[in-house]
Amino acid sequence: MADDTQLRELMRAYQSGRFEAFDDLYAAIAPVLRRYLLSHVRDAAKADDLVQETFLQLHRARHTYDPAYPVMPWAMAIARHVQLMDRRTLSRRPWAPDDVTEMDLPVRGEAASYAERSDVRRALGHVAPSRRAAVIQHHVLGLSFKEIAARTGIAETAAKLRSSRGMSQLRALLKGHGTK
Amino acid sequence: MTGVPAELRSRIQAEFAVVRPLPSPWARALWCAPFAALALLAAPAFFNVRTDAGQLGWLGGWGASFLQVALGFVLIAAALRESVPGRSWSAGAIGLWLVIPTALTMAVTLASWEASPVMLRRGWWTVWLVCISGSAATALPVVALAGVLVARAYPTRPAIAGLLLGIGAGVMADAGWRMFCHFSEPAHVLSAHLGGVAVAAIAGWRLAITLGKPFR
Repeated sequence: MADDTQLRELMRAYQSGRFEAFDDLYAAIAPVLRRYLLSHVRDAAKADDLVQETFLQLHRARHTYDPAYPVMPWAMAIARHVQLMDRRTLSRRPWAPDDVTEMDLPVRGEAASYAERSDVRRALGHVAPSRRAAVIQHHVLGLSFKEIAARTGIAETAAKLRSSRGMSQLRALLKGHGTK
Repeated sequence: MTGVPAELRSRIQAEFAVVRPLPSPWARALWCAPFAALALLAAPAFFNVRTDAGQLGWLGGWGASFLQVALGFVLIAAALRESVPGRSWSAGAIGLWLVIPTALTMAVTLASWEASPVMLRRGWWTVWLVCISGSAATALPVVALAGVLVARAYPTRPAIAGLLLGIGAGVMADAGWRMFCHFSEPAHVLSAHLGGVAVAAIAGWRLAITLGKPFR
C-alpha cells in the first residue's frame, strides 16, 4: 500500500477531478479494505461486493475527506459503515433465498433452451447469497433495482452491480456444466 | 485486486465531478451564527428582559447566556465533526458532551437562584408549558440548519450527530429564554428549561436520522 503522503495526494487529485487518481487509489487501498471486510464477513464473494459498495460510497462521500488528515481512517470508517449496514439489512430482510433448490423458478420458454430448470436452480445455489438475492429479486420476481435497493437498504447502483455480477457468475456456472 | 471492475468504473464515471472539500466543523458551525443570535435575542426582544436582571448583574445575566451560546456552538461543531467519516467521537467523549451542558445549565440555574430567588406559586403548569414549548420552538431553526449541515457530510452515526446538534441548539435557545423567564426556582428551570433542551435533542436526533437516510 502507498504511504499516507501519497494517498493524501491521490485524494486531493481525485477531489479536484482527476479520474486516473481513482484508479491509483483503488489499487492502493482496495486490498486493505477487502482484507478488513473479509475478516468480518468470511465470504470472498460477499467481501468483493462490499468492496465495490465501499468505493461507491467513498466516491459519494469524497467531499468529506479533509486533506489535513490521513486517508485510511476515513476510508476504513466508510467500509465499516457499509459492512454494518449490510449486516443490519440481512438481519431485517424478510427472506433470504439460501435454499433455492426448493424454489419454483418460472424459467421462461426461451430460457429453457439454455438450461434445464434444475440446472438453473443448482447453479443459483452456488452464486454468492447477496448476488443471488439480487438476481432472483430482479430476474425472477421482476422487482426494479429501485425496489430492490429500498427493500435491502443498499444503493440502487449497488443492486445493479450485485445483479449483474450474479448473472455473470450464473452464466459462467451454467457454461461450466455444459448446459448452454 | 488491483484493477477497477468495469461496472464500478462506469458508475463512478457517470457521477464524476470536481468536489470542494467540506470546510472544518468550526467553520460550518459558524453558519448557524445568525440563527444562534435569533435564539438568544428572540424571547427578551419579543417579550421583555427578565425583571430581576439588575439583581443578577451583567455576568449572571447576559454573561451566563453568552457562555451557554458558546457551548451550543461547541456542541454543534462536535456534531459536524461526528458526521465526517473517521472523525467520530469515542464513547467517553460523547458522555462528556452530554454531561457538560447538563452541568452548565444546573450551575447557571443554581447561581441565578442564589442571586435572585423567585418562586413560582400560581399557574405552575401554564408557565411550565410556555417555557418548555417556547424554548423548544426557539431552538428549531438552529436544529433545522445544523441538521442539513450534518446530512451534507456523511454521518455514519446520524443518531449521535443529531443528538449533539439538538442539545447544542437547545442550550442556545435556553440562553435566550432564561433572559426572559425570571422564575429561578430550580424545580421549574430544571424541568421546563432543561425539558426544552431535551425536546430539541429529540428533534435533532429524528431529523439527522431522516436526512442521513441516503447513506444508510
